[in-house]
Amino acid sequence: MLRTRFRLLLISLASILAATARPALGAEPLRINGSTTVNPVVVDAADLFRAETGSTVFVDTQGGSSGGIAALGEGRAEIGMISRELEPDDRAKFPQVKFQATRIGTDALALVVSKDVWAGGVKVLSRSQMQGIYEGRTTNWKALGGPDRRIVFFNKEPGRGTWEAFAKWLYGDPKKAPVVSFPEVGANEEGRNKVSSTRGALSQLSAAWADGKTVFALAIRRDDGKVVPPTTAAIADGSYPIARPLQVVTNGAPQGLAKGMIDLLLSPRGQALVTRHGYLPLAPASAKKRIP
Amino acid sequence: MSSVTVERIRRGRIDSLRYVSFALSAVAAAAFLGLVVLFAVEALPFARRAGWGALFAERWSYRTEEFGALPMIYGSLAVSSVALAIAGPIGLGAAVFLAEVLPRRARIAGKVGIELLAGIPSVVYGLLGVLLLRDWMLRPLARWDPLSGDTLATGGVLLAVMIVPTVASLADDALAAVPRSQRWAARALGIGRAGAILRVVVPQALPGLFSALLLGLGRALGETVAVFLVIGRQDNQWPERLLSVAPLAAAGQTVTSKLGGSETFVAYGAPVHWGALLALGLLLLAVVAAISFTGSWLALRRVPRA
Repeated sequence: MLRTRFRLLLISLASILAATARPALGAEPLRINGSTTVNPVVVDAADLFRAETGSTVFVDTQGGSSGGIAALGEGRAEIGMISRELEPDDRAKFPQVKFQATRIGTDALALVVSKDVWAGGVKVLSRSQMQGIYEGRTTNWKALGGPDRRIVFFNKEPGRGTWEAFAKWLYGDPKKAPVVSFPEVGANEEGRNKVSSTRGALSQLSAAWADGKTVFALAIRRDDGKVVPPTTAAIADGSYPIARPLQVVTNGAPQGLAKGMIDLLLSPRGQALVTRHGYLPLAPASAKKRIP
Repeated sequence: MSSVTVERIRRGRIDSLRYVSFALSAVAAAAFLGLVVLFAVEALPFARRAGWGALFAERWSYRTEEFGALPMIYGSLAVSSVALAIAGPIGLGAAVFLAEVLPRRARIAGKVGIELLAGIPSVVYGLLGVLLLRDWMLRPLARWDPLSGDTLATGGVLLAVMIVPTVASLADDALAAVPRSQRWAARALGIGRAGAILRVVVPQALPGLFSALLLGLGRALGETVAVFLVIGRQDNQWPERLLSVAPLAAAGQTVTSKLGGSETFVAYGAPVHWGALLALGLLLLAVVAAISFTGSWLALRRVPRA
């Protein structure tokens, strides 16, 4: 009796060891991690890629753009997704990694508000007005032509591509942005949900995620006085001031599965996915023609 | 085979089983120690730059290398206190009902139900919190005019729901461990049912009840995902008056919601910042371990007397 139990114990120990060991057979999976903004495009492309090549692809969004860089830097992913430029800081943190970014599209950053603010008449913000809110000088929508309601600003978490693009627009350099204390939101879904469910809410969000039904994208009054809403045309011709690149990053030149995946993203089919999710493809004019 | 031989073989097997189980426990203990050592080593760059005491300052701003965690410690304590204040009476009350009022079969059915509740993953509670609690909390907090439904109080109420099963189930165990004969003796002396429960059973089960509360508190302090979703995650909310209610109606940050956020990805590769986050993790580990040890010790001390 005891002997059988002992044997069982040994067998279960052995099976635990076997389960934790890396499977020797089978191809290596392609692991992708990073920005929630780039994510929908890559997820759709990964579906195509899996169906056509039969390979295993994992796509995850742990930690947004910085999470993508960290996963690539630590070798936990073959492709990182970022919704911003590569920064010298990224290279400084992982000196042994040769980060190489491939741009797959462009996104604008929108300042989105909840329905009550939009219906209350706030449709435009200028850079200095936004600075006032960010620095805590403006705390009521009344001061901006809206309803008499306090501004509930949800700041995008540090390390998010959206926040970097926002701080770059507001202060020229994210490092120059003052240290502030606001409630924070992470992924795009979370930001959109919290803004839509809170009265008087304002947050930064990828323009493609501002659906105009639950959250509403404000136009920007540029420093030259021109009012520009984040429409596809205005983002494409550069008149909307807060745009940022959507990129995939590899360690060195893309190889193997990663190269196949990135080639797919750059192909007309991949670029059509970029458009479908509301972002700008690489060459808008030529890509538009190819969409069936 | 003589009985002596059988006895010898049996003893030998029990001995070998004892060694195996000892070895496996040693692995668990070593893993825990290794974890603590790893955290401490990784936190060293922070300790060297700023000193461990820098953690107990009021301002956290990683871009200026200020790593004061007092507001987060306050947040953790505030959220857990709210949770315990609500879950304590409910959990203990439910336990008295389960152990003392319900007949045996119904008690077991009730206990299974409660333990099912305890097994629901915390992210599910978190989503329920986002769905129902955030808006609902605006009404009871209306006096303090909260900016949104993301407040310390919301986190506390959500945690209360989560730890009620833990408290109720452990407290029920403590009450059930008081021998029947004690109740009979009390009744025989002419004490009513309520009196027997309040003056005989509860006092005897007191260490166990206290341990149920402590283990509930330990769970509340360590809980991350659910709190993360409803607390607002606002840094540097050090209240003007520590014991007032008003700061509970504002957004805040707990140690766990900070560690669960994306800042860990920013910190990785920056030794001082990373070290500060790990020091925070170490602090959390120490507090939760101390509470759980005390709780378990009290639970073990509860020796049934005939």
